[in-house]
Amino acid sequence: MTARLRRLLALFRRTRLDRELDAEIVAHLELAERDARARGLSVEEARREARQAFGGVDAVREAHRDARSTRALETLWRDVRYGLRGIRRTPLVCSIIVLVLGVAIGANTTMLSAVEAILVRPLGYGDADRLVIVMHDGRAPVSYANFDDWRREARSFQGMGAAEYWRVNIGLEEGAERVLGLRVTQDLLPLLDVAPALGRLPGADAFAGGDDKQVVISHGLWRRRFGGRASALGETLRLDGELYTVVAVMPPGFVFAPFWAAESQLWAPLPHAGRPTSRTHNSLRVFARLAPGTSLAQAQADVTALTTRLESAFPHTNRNVRVVSLKERVVGETRMPLLVMLGGVGIVLIIACANVAHILLARAATRRREVAVRLALGATRTQIVRQFLVESLLLAGAAAIVGVALAIVGIDALVALAPPDLPRAADIRLDLPVLLGTVAMALTAGLGFGLAPALQAARPVPGEHLAAGRGASADRRQAATRELLMASEVALSLVLVAGAGLMVRSLASLQADDPAFDPGGVLSFSVSVLGSRQADADRRAPFYEALVEGLAALPGVTAVSAINHRPLDGDLWTRGMTIEGRTAPADGAVIGAIYRVSLPGYFTAMRIPIQRGRDFTWTDRTGTPGVAIISDDLARAHWPGEEAVGKRILFGQAASDPEPRWLTIVGVVADAAGRTWEDGRGSEVYLPFLQSAEYATSPTAPFSYLSFMVRTEPGREGALMPAVRRLVAGMDRDVAVSDVATMEEVVSRALARPRFQLTLLAVCAAVALLLAAAGIYGVVSYAVTRRTREIGLRMALGAQRGDVRTMVLRQSARHVGLGVGAGLIGAMLITRLMTGLLHGVTPGDPLTLGMSTLVLSAVALLASSVPAWRASRTAPVVALRDE
Amino acid sequence: MTKTKSDIPHGTLDLLILRTLDTMGPLHGYAIARRLEQVGGGTTRLSQGAVYPALIRLEQQELIRTQWGLSETNREVKFYELTPPGAAHLRKEIASWEQSTALIAKFLGARP
Repeated sequence: MTARLRRLLALFRRTRLDRELDAEIVAHLELAERDARARGLSVEEARREARQAFGGVDAVREAHRDARSTRALETLWRDVRYGLRGIRRTPLVCSIIVLVLGVAIGANTTMLSAVEAILVRPLGYGDADRLVIVMHDGRAPVSYANFDDWRREARSFQGMGAAEYWRVNIGLEEGAERVLGLRVTQDLLPLLDVAPALGRLPGADAFAGGDDKQVVISHGLWRRRFGGRASALGETLRLDGELYTVVAVMPPGFVFAPFWAAESQLWAPLPHAGRPTSRTHNSLRVFARLAPGTSLAQAQADVTALTTRLESAFPHTNRNVRVVSLKERVVGETRMPLLVMLGGVGIVLIIACANVAHILLARAATRRREVAVRLALGATRTQIVRQFLVESLLLAGAAAIVGVALAIVGIDALVALAPPDLPRAADIRLDLPVLLGTVAMALTAGLGFGLAPALQAARPVPGEHLAAGRGASADRRQAATRELLMASEVALSLVLVAGAGLMVRSLASLQADDPAFDPGGVLSFSVSVLGSRQADADRRAPFYEALVEGLAALPGVTAVSAINHRPLDGDLWTRGMTIEGRTAPADGAVIGAIYRVSLPGYFTAMRIPIQRGRDFTWTDRTGTPGVAIISDDLARAHWPGEEAVGKRILFGQAASDPEPRWLTIVGVVADAAGRTWEDGRGSEVYLPFLQSAEYATSPTAPFSYLSFMVRTEPGREGALMPAVRRLVAGMDRDVAVSDVATMEEVVSRALARPRFQLTLLAVCAAVALLLAAAGIYGVVSYAVTRRTREIGLRMALGAQRGDVRTMVLRQSARHVGLGVGAGLIGAMLITRLMTGLLHGVTPGDPLTLGMSTLVLSAVALLASSVPAWRASRTAPVVALRDE
Repeated sequence: MTKTKSDIPHGTLDLLILRTLDTMGPLHGYAIARRLEQVGGGTTRLSQGAVYPALIRLEQQELIRTQWGLSETNREVKFYELTPPGAAHLRKEIASWEQSTALIAKFLGARP
């Protein structure tokens, strides 16, 4: 048994060793008494003498206990006691340290939670890492016929299922409500390997032509609609006017699909009847589970071989089909922004540590005599270093507690602030891995900021400091450490300020982009006739027309129209355009354009400039010649130097179609913002609603709603909604109104992600600047205090106040300059990681870097000028005083 | 960190105990304490109890080991004896001690 182990065991064998010691003491006293008696003392005297010679029994017991307990634990406890005593002695300084560090650790814990929840944690499905999507370009939807071929022929998957977007009106007591659901194929839900909380997933029969009016509902909908009753199973829901039986309830927190239609609350079998046989009607998202032992690359090779075969059988289909990990699809776009944010708060933590190191260095300087005395009394350097480190770790531990408390608040704030498209935001919480990360962070920080002061403290030569003098060499070394810290703070702050500056420029550039419509004063909402009597083919158009008239008559309304999909946040369909008289390209590529269907007056209501030609009118209806309006970029690209108005196109129809419906271009409009704010403008083809057979008659959900745009007098759009609801309910109670938002809100949401990123980086940069300023102030103040005598002497010898100020500022400027230089290089390298986050500005942007340098220099000058001013007020007489 | 008072320089108590066991063979605590008093000839003010913390420390360092035996008053007590590493340690310590004292003596003897 080694000595160490024995000592450790002694901790637990305390009672036995204590008993043994007691026995030894008793025997000892007995022997001593016997000897004393032999020398002729009385019983009383002998006993007294024996005890006296032995000394205090309790003291011996305690010393015995001390001697046998493990030494490491013992010294650690002693260091902790000393540390706590030191902290109690300087409560203000220590509170500042804990607060500064706590804020930084809190910010890091918050971001770490987000990174862990979004990027690290597996998706909430069984063995989720094997789930993939199989789609065109890894993101575009697939037709049923193609999906069916893939499902039957692909060998790399354990299962393959597909889902289709399903906007559905659900009959609730308080009127119709639109909820999002998915129509799914047989394999889809089992593929996810998530057991329902209640009931069973629909059986094979429901997908094979049997009763497909079955529905699986979300936990939330179950609670809301059925009050969480188990008897909900077997009850019915009226969906789009048809009765569906509830067969299962999913567990709380179940989300599908995670990257699209994530708020789905219903999952029902894709009806067997009426599945399109067209290979270009792309509406399905395809999900699959990799077979055991199959890699993503093998699956891709399998799918590529399969689709190449299909493409030769069905030209222009099955192109560029990609197998992508589901998780990658969900979080891929979020990774870089999140890591940049994590880097941002990480830099703040480093700067905070540098600041704490400043404070501790100053404190170590004031404790030199204490250290010198201890060294003289025989403490080793290692002991001193260890004790200082224990103090730092105690501070870091306290800061970690503060940080975790702040992170609890911070996570709520982050989720509240997060853009709506941040995936898995609801999953962000403080959990064990994050807490372990926080502990590791605090330990690293404690060692990081504690090491320099600890080494510094243990360095001085005893004799030097027992005498009242100051060690010039130690001072110089310390000054160098502090100045290095200051320069690195400046450098790191500059990187953050530059990063935030780039985000400001990027957001400004985004906001300066002209959407080519005027969002101010426009209220928008969607109106769905599905499940109401207004869905009838002969009622639909008159209903919408009457609704437009009714809305236009509301007080304050100046223009009303509607479009199939709301720009920026609505659905988005693209179709192929064929130009009359031109041969299609040999490679089969088509001219893609966004498919818009509008009522007359849309361009007026949205204030999209009509550059040439005319808008649709109420007379462009079935039976009149087909017309279309195109965006300017299409006109310029395909009719350069020609007038596009009057030319004819096919849209959404193959040129080989036996019954081509030629559309005459009657107008060219400005390129407006479409799907997302960043992704360009234009490439839109507008068709009149009244000529669209699908929109006028199709009973399916995608064609049964329109997004209304109501322009009001400025400022009145917000108060209009109650009147709109009354109007619609008065026309038909079963018509659902949803997706209410002003267009300004829609635009604002489209910019939510860059704004969120800017906010976080700006906060980081502001905190970094503040900390850097405090650091510079501290270093310069300390230097000035140290040189008080010298400055006094200079002034006694005739130096002017201005000279002293200049001298102090010049010295500070040298270190700030060093930091700025390093920071500029760092900023140029590090901001490159932000390329994907930026719009209209490049990472090395000279204006941003220049401005950041200016800001930082100004802050540094300000922070140095206070101590410089104080130095200049030094009375020459201090030079005469002894320290 | 014994609280019992001692004039013996810190760290040398261990050395004295080892030396005692080296010359006397296995002893119990009381005998060790008595022996230290006798050798010191009354010049030390060492509490007898102070040997016990030192003994447990030495035992844990495996420089000494214990055996149970009977005291002169017929009581079960621990007898302490030197281990081979203890003997080696003692030789090393004595050598280094002699070196130091020789050096100091040289200094103190050389009056300017």
